[in-house]
Amino acid sequence: MEINIFQAILFGLCACLSSMPGMGGTTIGNYTLGRPLVAGLIVGLIMGDVTTGVIIGAAIQVVYIALVTPGGTVSADVRAISYIGIPLAIVAIKGLGLDPASEAGRSMAVALGSAVGTLGTVLFYGTATVNLVWQHMGWKAVEKGQLNKLYVVDMVLPWISHFICSFLPTVIIAMLGSNVVDLIKEYLPMDGIAMKTLFTVGSLLPAVGVGILLKQVVSKPTDLLTFFFGFVLAAIMGVNLIGAAVIGGFFAVIFYNIKLLQLRKVTVGSEGSEIDDDEEDI
Amino acid sequence: MAEKKLSKKTLGKAFRNWYYGHLTCFSQEHMQTFGYLCAMLPIIKELYHTPEEQKEALSTYTAFFNTEPQLGTVIVGVTAGLEEAKANGEAVDGEMINGIRAGLMGPVAGIGDSLIVGTLIPILLGIALGLSNGGSPIGAIFYIISWNVIMTLGMRFLFYKGYELGGKAVEILVGEKANAIREAVVMVGTIVIGAVAASWITITTSFEMLNDDGSPIIELQKTLDGICPKLLSAVTVIFCWWLMSKKKISPTLVMLILVVIALAGVLLGFFDPKLSY
Repeated sequence: MEINIFQAILFGLCACLSSMPGMGGTTIGNYTLGRPLVAGLIVGLIMGDVTTGVIIGAAIQVVYIALVTPGGTVSADVRAISYIGIPLAIVAIKGLGLDPASEAGRSMAVALGSAVGTLGTVLFYGTATVNLVWQHMGWKAVEKGQLNKLYVVDMVLPWISHFICSFLPTVIIAMLGSNVVDLIKEYLPMDGIAMKTLFTVGSLLPAVGVGILLKQVVSKPTDLLTFFFGFVLAAIMGVNLIGAAVIGGFFAVIFYNIKLLQLRKVTVGSEGSEIDDDEEDI
Repeated sequence: MAEKKLSKKTLGKAFRNWYYGHLTCFSQEHMQTFGYLCAMLPIIKELYHTPEEQKEALSTYTAFFNTEPQLGTVIVGVTAGLEEAKANGEAVDGEMINGIRAGLMGPVAGIGDSLIVGTLIPILLGIALGLSNGGSPIGAIFYIISWNVIMTLGMRFLFYKGYELGGKAVEILVGEKANAIREAVVMVGTIVIGAVAASWITITTSFEMLNDDGSPIIELQKTLDGICPKLLSAVTVIFCWWLMSKKKISPTLVMLILVVIALAGVLLGFFDPKLSY
């Protein structure tokens, strides 16, 4: 399976829109087009195989389920994962004759997508660095009082940064993709240690994504119990994700009401206050 | 002199500039500063008429700015209201606006990162993953629609609330009631992520001890399944969490540690995907 130039250009455009900092704005770009699950659908549509795209996107999504960029430091680049990693994974899985829905297919996609995502952080720092040039122009414009030029600086010129750091790398790597698969086939037998390790890594990596998320939501050890509650729901009781969300929502409502009772106690205890009135309204 | 009032059109334009452009021209030096300038520009143009005044007013917003962009919309709204008050000669000056802005961006970023990126997105994605079984596009479509509708309406709400209520709007985000809601939402998120871990992480061992005749004495995976299904997945998640939160190791390094563990496990016969071309 090969990627043609037309498909590669579409991936390149998506990469420009979806990256952090991207040209689509974060709501539509980074947090929609940049999510591997959505990218799986889009890449699948472009390559004419939605099912494979979604399966691969979903598998990679778990690794990056909570990709936070606190203070602009990134551990993985979404444009690389989504529009370089996913097309390559589709080509690789098809080229190697794996079933995308199998454990092996998913592991392969996750290992490849994560490797590309980590290497892709270069693109993030590249884009941010080229943007310094436009920002410099922006400060000059402000100094001279040419305020309208700010729109060009903020929303037009960064396209150039993305042409260099998103579009070109995506198109070039996508075009070379099928050669890479041939090389893998030739030099790395599936039952060799390298490939066995690759597939094992692919099955281990989603744990990092969930770990990152836990790090954010767990503030005391008992919070881990909440996590295990969800885990047990799915692993032992066989509840699916939608069911788990509903059960979680039910407990959250109970929790919220208990909290409100506590708050009311505090306000009554302090002989009422102005805040009290506001609280009753809602 | 008639009181200056920002028109609906201008506020809408300011909101759209922020909604779209808050991070388009990002650099490590000035992250969302230019997005902020573009959001304030229509407002300043309407409130002040001479180029000197406009330049002077805009200089308030040239200081470094970075926050969680979705919730951060409330800050843009607050400063729009303050700028209007300033133009009407109330006791507000640029320095004060900047102080409020700088004071808000840290706390809002903290709440936004944990509530939006750490909770809302994982819940929506968790449900979407559940809908994606067998490669169905419904999950991705569900996520695209639900996320964009919630965020576009939510950001609009925050922007206009910020404009109307000024500093008080921040109560929506940090008040006691907001705290209770936030904790409850985080709880749903934690439960869903537990279910995601159980549904989507499949770590199995191939470790066996064999009798002389080749029949197995111990098949480790079966033993583990008897204790708790997916036990290895849970252990690996907790291990990664422990490395990152207790040992302060970066996610990239944790991934490398897993590569080493995978290699060691393969060499020892603990892991074996049992594949061939």
